[in-house]
Formats: sequence, C-alpha cells, structure tokens
Amino acid sequence: MSTWQSLMLGFRSSGAYFISTFLFGVMFGITAAAVGLEPWQAILMSATSFTASAQFAALEFWESPLPYGTIALTVALVSSRNILLGMAMTHHFDGHSLRRRIAWLFLLNDPGVVTSYRVDKDVDRLGYVTGYGISMMVSWLTSTLLGLSLSDLFVNFDLGSVKFAGPLVMTTMMMLFIKGSKTRSTPWMVSGVSALLLHELGTANYLVLLISVGAGVLAAVLQGRLARD
Amino acid sequence: MIEQSSVLTAIAIMAVVVYLTRVSGYFIGLQFRHIPGIQPILEVLPGCAFMAILAPAVRQGSVSELIAMTCLVVLMWRTNNVALSTLVGMAVLFTGNTIFD
Repeated sequence: MSTWQSLMLGFRSSGAYFISTFLFGVMFGITAAAVGLEPWQAILMSATSFTASAQFAALEFWESPLPYGTIALTVALVSSRNILLGMAMTHHFDGHSLRRRIAWLFLLNDPGVVTSYRVDKDVDRLGYVTGYGISMMVSWLTSTLLGLSLSDLFVNFDLGSVKFAGPLVMTTMMMLFIKGSKTRSTPWMVSGVSALLLHELGTANYLVLLISVGAGVLAAVLQGRLARD
Repeated sequence: MIEQSSVLTAIAIMAVVVYLTRVSGYFIGLQFRHIPGIQPILEVLPGCAFMAILAPAVRQGSVSELIAMTCLVVLMWRTNNVALSTLVGMAVLFTGNTIFD
C-alpha cells in the first residue's frame, strides 16, 4: 500500500478518537479562556503543541509571571510518553527520507501508534500514523475554536471549577493508563503520595514534579528488580 | 494579565519541548533500542507526571470538584468510555458548584 493510501486509511480509521479528542478540545478552549488566554493564543498553542494532556497540564501554572521552567518541565514529563511512542515506531518508519521522518513525526499521536499495530503489514506505518494525526489535528483545532466560542456561555459559572477540567481530563488518561497497564500501579501511587506530601510541605511546583516523578521511577526500578528476583 | 511576549515565549517553549519528545524517542530508539530494562521505566513516566499534578489539584479541590472527579472515576472504571465519563464529570462540575459550594 502506498504512503498516500496509508495516510488516507489512517485518516478514515480515526473516528472514535476524533470524537473524544473533540470533547477534550472543547474543554481545552473553555479552560484556556478561563485562565485568560486570547483565542488566537489558544489556537496557536493547539496548532504548535498538539498535545491535550501537556496543554492542560501547562494551564495549571498559567499565572503571571509565567514559570517557564515549570511549564517546560511539566510539558516534558507529561509528554515523555512520546519518547516511548517514537521508540516503538523505530522499526516501522523505514523506507522514508530522513527529512520526511523528521517532519511527519510532528504528528506522532498515541491512538495512531496504538492502532497501527492492528493494520495489515503492507500498510505504510508512517503514512498511517500521519493520516491519523492529521485527523486528530483537525479535531483538536476545530474543537478548541468551538470551546473558545462557547466560553462566554460559561461566564456565570465558577471559573475556578472550569479550570478543574484539566485535572478531570488528566484523570481519564490516568485511568486508561491504569486499566491498560500490564504492571502494577505502585510507581504512580508512590508519585502521587510524594506529590501530596511535598505539596503539604509548601514545596515549589517544579520540585514537587521532579521529586515525585523521581520517586515513581525509583519505585518502578525496585518493582522491576523484585519481579526479577 | 500576562504580557503577550511572555505568553508567546511559553507557547514556543511548549512547542519545542513537545516536538523534541516526539522526534527524540524515534532517534534514540534507532540507536539504543536494545538497552535492557529501560522500557518499563519510560512507560511509568507519563503516569507519574499525571499523578504529581493530580494529587495536589485534588487536595485543593472544592466539594463539587471532588464529586465530579468521583463520578468520572467511577464511570471510567465501569464503562471505560472516555467521552461519556468526561461529559458526566464536566456536567457535575458545572452544575455542582451552585449546589455544593
């Protein structure tokens, strides 16, 4: 199957995730408006970052002065699964020029990678994942725009509650992680408890992230060693 | 009010960081995919980051926010339907704050 045909297949296969992405996008638009982002700024963020979870996470710190380091660290940590997705595709993007791979990796997306394992072997994986990504991008941008447009309807609601949409969306993803994980959730629990303790101690946000993720990783390492012994 | 230049800087930082995570994994994989034991650690990282953000947010949550979160978790657990769970969670969040808070 040609790259173009694979791209179209990926685009057509994305219906289910198109809807959930659309839902997240609407909420992101509403949340972005709630924290004070201008519509064009929110659209620019969605178009250039194209990542629901990291964008929601970044909005948690959207206060003046913007903590660049904390935002960068949060986005890097939340998006770190992209590293794994990229590694998982190591064997599947062969046969394309380096320039194309570098450019098209911008549209690397979770559902595209996951579902690409279910398609026939003759499907071009880079084309498929990219087609899927184009669909997700269309969904993400149009829904962000819709959310921004709808934000006025929520003017009578407590904007602090709208901001909680971020944690709600992150919780759905966390649930997917937990339910889909083959291993125990101990590292995530360790990370959560550490974050809670550090938060109670008044620790700076970036340190809460760094230390609690470090604790989770340590728990994962120990869990791995115990499993081998 | 946040200055426009600060917002653009933050958006640029986010875009670069996210793109680097997308592209770096692939090229790291090309070079080091045979390192034993690294995959399980990479797999837990996103979840750890989520928990590190979620735990303090929930700790600070209002009654309506916690009820919305509970509804969402129960629905997700029972149905595994992201769209439905999120819709219900958001509905409870929006309506609950006028009742509970």
